[in-house]
Amino acid sequence: MATDATGRRYRGWYAMLLRLYPQPFHDRFGEGMAQTFDDMCREHEHARRGLFGLVLSTFFETSMEIVRENANHMTELRKTLLRVALGALAFWMVPLVASQFVDDWHWGVGGFVFAYVLFFATGLAYALIARKMGAWAYKAGVGLALATGFVLGWGNMVHMSESDNPAYLVYFCVLAVGGAGAWVAQLKAPGMARALFAMAAMLAVIEVIAVALSLTSGEPSGLVRRIVVGHFVFVALFTASVCCSGMPAAESM
Amino acid sequence: MGKKATAQAPLTPAVLHILLALSMEERHGYGIMKQVEADSEGKVKMGPGTLYGSMGRMMEAGLIRESGKRADPEMAGPRRIYYELTGAGRAALAAELDRYRGVVAVAEGRTAYGH
Repeated sequence: MATDATGRRYRGWYAMLLRLYPQPFHDRFGEGMAQTFDDMCREHEHARRGLFGLVLSTFFETSMEIVRENANHMTELRKTLLRVALGALAFWMVPLVASQFVDDWHWGVGGFVFAYVLFFATGLAYALIARKMGAWAYKAGVGLALATGFVLGWGNMVHMSESDNPAYLVYFCVLAVGGAGAWVAQLKAPGMARALFAMAAMLAVIEVIAVALSLTSGEPSGLVRRIVVGHFVFVALFTASVCCSGMPAAESM
Repeated sequence: MGKKATAQAPLTPAVLHILLALSMEERHGYGIMKQVEADSEGKVKMGPGTLYGSMGRMMEAGLIRESGKRADPEMAGPRRIYYELTGAGRAALAAELDRYRGVVAVAEGRTAYGH
């Protein structure tokens, strides 16, 4: 019969083995599988049967399923990438075709490449997040944030193509903060809500600085009003997405 | 099993056994394993990998869902995640059992005529 220490060691090894599952599968079933293995070991121990045979067969069976799940996961990921790439291409055709008919359209190659990257990154972010969690509030919140981020990035790309003012680059820093936050949060609800809040706060700070600079340089009041309203809309949209994406986290507490 | 399970599509043995195990009451993972073993009189023994892999695909197909996390009154240890059938799961099980009845009826008819 296995000692307590041996049983604990087997359970620890099984928990490590489960980490080889794709992350979404492990997040969803890892705890349940470890508990089930624990129950199986406990039953064997109560029946005063050795654990070695059970451990060997379970580890082998689980390893086979790990290979299968990882293969399925890679196939799904490839399909998702292909769908997003084709979807981005379809959206990218709109400015490409429109630029042939609009006289004032002055994008260079870099502008079109950036536009495709923006479409692709937005679509991929939403596809990965939608796979991660089924809660509608979270999906809606992140969808709103992505749409807002897309409009922010697109608008600034257009402004930069029309003027060489490097000040517009600061808005891409807001998007970079969001991207870094999503990376750190691994697309999970509590961390995503914090990342979106950081974006809203950063935009609010930019708004204050932009208004202060406009007032001190004697810009017309109409322009100052547009700066206030424009920034406020983006801050409000990011804040609304924080509220939505934070809901599942609050519910699970 | 695809994402959209149709009532007519034959189910894999693992999926059928899990649906059967959950047809009377909701159960946690180990409870499903024990019920499958009892239903098949010990002929089918499912490991955790097969069980949770099948359950993952069944959840995607909308056949089963999590029904909560709580302690099992018959077992010591921490709280366990319970699973239950959905309406689509009950319909798929009923359709599969009908299909089996049809196959058995055909087989019995042929046996009666000595074919």
